Amino acid sequence: MLEIKNLSKTYGDGTKALKNVSFNLEDGEFLVIIGLSGSGKSTLLRCINRLVEPTSGSITWNGADICAAKGADLRKIRSQIGMVFQHFNLVKRLSVLNNVLSGRLGRVNTWKSLYYKFSKKDYEDAFSALKKVGITQQAYKRADELSGGQQQRVGIARAIMQEPLMVLADEPVASLDPVLAHTILGYIERMNQEQNITVICSLHYLDLVQRYATRVIGLKDGEIVYRGTGEDIRQMTDREFKEIYGEEAERVNAGKPVKGAGL
Amino acid sequence: MKNIAPIILSLIFPGAGHLYRKHIQRGLLIILSFTSIIGLSISRISLLAHRYEGFFPVLKKAFSNNPGFIIFLFLFTVLLWIWIAIDSVKYSTLKKRPGVFVLILVIFFGLGWQISEIDVVKAAVQMPDAWKPLSKVLWPWKAAITYKTEELTGGADLVIDDPDYVLPALNRTEGKPFVETDPRWGSLSTLDKNNEIVKGTSITVRGSGFTPGEVGEVWWLDSISNEFRPREGGQYLSVTPDSEGKFEFTMTLPYRLIPPSAQGVQINRVEIRQVRRVGGPIPADPLKLTIARMVETIFMGMMATIFGIILSIPVSFLAARNIMSGSWITVAVYYFVRTVLNIIRSIEPLIWALIAVVWVGLGPFAGILALTIHSVAALGKLYSEGIESIDPGPIEAIKATGADSIQTIMFAIIPQMIPPFVSFSIYRWDINVRMSTIIGLVGGGGIGFLLVQYIRLLDYQAAGIAVWFIAVTVAILDYVSAEIRRKFI
Ligand SMILES: Nc1ncnc2c1ncn2[C@@H]1O[C@H](COP(=O)(O)OP(=O)(O)OP(=O)(O)O)[C@@H](O)[C@H]1O
Ligand SMILES: [Mg+2]
Repeated sequence: MLEIKNLSKTYGDGTKALKNVSFNLEDGEFLVIIGLSGSGKSTLLRCINRLVEPTSGSITWNGADICAAKGADLRKIRSQIGMVFQHFNLVKRLSVLNNVLSGRLGRVNTWKSLYYKFSKKDYEDAFSALKKVGITQQAYKRADELSGGQQQRVGIARAIMQEPLMVLADEPVASLDPVLAHTILGYIERMNQEQNITVICSLHYLDLVQRYATRVIGLKDGEIVYRGTGEDIRQMTDREFKEIYGEEAERVNAGKPVKGAGL
Repeated sequence: MKNIAPIILSLIFPGAGHLYRKHIQRGLLIILSFTSIIGLSISRISLLAHRYEGFFPVLKKAFSNNPGFIIFLFLFTVLLWIWIAIDSVKYSTLKKRPGVFVLILVIFFGLGWQISEIDVVKAAVQMPDAWKPLSKVLWPWKAAITYKTEELTGGADLVIDDPDYVLPALNRTEGKPFVETDPRWGSLSTLDKNNEIVKGTSITVRGSGFTPGEVGEVWWLDSISNEFRPREGGQYLSVTPDSEGKFEFTMTLPYRLIPPSAQGVQINRVEIRQVRRVGGPIPADPLKLTIARMVETIFMGMMATIFGIILSIPVSFLAARNIMSGSWITVAVYYFVRTVLNIIRSIEPLIWALIAVVWVGLGPFAGILALTIHSVAALGKLYSEGIESIDPGPIEAIKATGADSIQTIMFAIIPQMIPPFVSFSIYRWDINVRMSTIIGLVGGGGIGFLLVQYIRLLDYQAAGIAVWFIAVTVAILDYVSAEIRRKFI
């Protein structure tokens, strides 16, 4: 259970990215965050694993106070939260395998990582993670030799490698084509459904939201302007959609305009 | 009518017209250029006529010393003055008029020509004189090889002016050169009161046991061991032994070099010396020394680079904005380190070498020290720029897995830093070897040290060998370092 109360973030330059955001999330949900660019989606996701320091408010996860955690405690919490990024954020000069193995860093001895050493089990797990996303062939290639879709699979394998209880995905498919988008989100959905991993994912396209979400939160200028279930979003009207996305927003079907509501 | 004011202002003080018309930047630039032209002209003219006083005497003297320069200055300055006045009304932000600055450049060029004492005529006239040493530098290889020699010497003593003195008997040893004279005494040639030559005694010199057919030099050793080769008819005396290694010739005793007042028995000696090469060519001293110093040079550059790399890594983190942007303390450290690095870097390695020589004395260590100091500053800056340009995304991703800071450095920062790091390090190694070839000029060891000694001794061939080695080494290094960097990126 994730409880976020009155979470605010003001950046150093005075930008109020989040204003008093509160919501609760049961384990095993697939929460999708929607909102225009700059509405604070990335900030919210990054507050949850403290890549961004919240200015005020509290985040409690299964009884642990994430905002107060320090040092080893914080690293332990982070190691239980996988993260997938829009631009993959792979270490380009390392091999695919090492990128996947880096998902284990929260649990290996610091000194062993000085010479990139992992246990045999770590290697086995890394290969099984690569197998899950179907790119075992590329294990020894350098990460930057892969296509965008392949790189995002590595990103997912890295998250799988963490054996996480929660996955944060910040627009994981925004830089991929529509077919790949479903493949990638499919992997995330499988983690969610097969292992009951909580997923919090920001998405831009309404039809993807409608396809994958069990819960939805809409952000506008750092405030929650919409809350609904997956069911609600599947019945969402253009009016409500524009409420969140602004008047100029159009419905898109994974990049292509669609007529009418729903899939 | 409104054009009158800027013209008059500009004629009174060039540039003032532009300021009046609110072209502040251009006006200030013109004022600055014009005043420096006037200042420089005055100082150059008074230098041309130093020890003269008063406006006209100085001008007259300067004119007679260098009329071209004075006429040039006068004409162009007046032209500039007028031009500036015209420009002050004609210039507008819409129409760029670069004419003034072209003229200013021309005047600066003229001043520069005079200040830097450029003398094309001298360069042309003295070219033939330079050719001889230059040709030795360009093709120095004659000095690079030498041969082992063997000297076969035999000689006999003579008493000067004393027929009664009995010299010890000569004894002949088989297989050893043997020389005898007949008679075993004589008088040296001298000059009489009228500077006429009084010939000395003529003696017969016989020898045996020498190498047949090989030319031997005749040497004379006087009683205080002056050694010289006597001449006859302007030619050095020499002998060629016959097929049995024997010879016989007559010679007149050479000039007396010791004053007639010398006391005691004067024993002189005639020697026959056969010098011959044994074995093939061997490297001469300049070549051997050059190679040894070249090796020293390359290692100096290498050591300085290694020390520089080791020391500059921690420094570069302190000089990277993205790493030091945390708090005001780290930002202060960042600015401090940056400033220090910039200052160190702006001082040339040669100057650091001068300081290092005072510090640790002459020799390669001083050179290494100087190059290390400069390398730390240069590499520190380059590395820190490499650190600044790393992508924060992977760092975020690695942190998000629960990695600690050491793991984040190992997995996210170092892999990103390796390519610029390798490239900059090799580039620096290249620079350091180049620098260590000349750092010896100020006593920092390496081949430059040798080169400057050869040049001072006017041994242009030896210097040429050093120059060749420097050129070839630098060229190879250039190629290798470019190749490695190309492979790595
Ligand atoms: N490091 C930062 N420093 C200052 N302001 C920031 C920083 N990061 C984000 N912001 C600002 O905070 C606000 C929210 O940004 P955020 O990245 O969370 O939006 P987003 O919803 O993820 O947008 P997008 O869809 O474009 O990714 C924006 O106004 C942004 O300019
Ligand atoms: Mg974002």
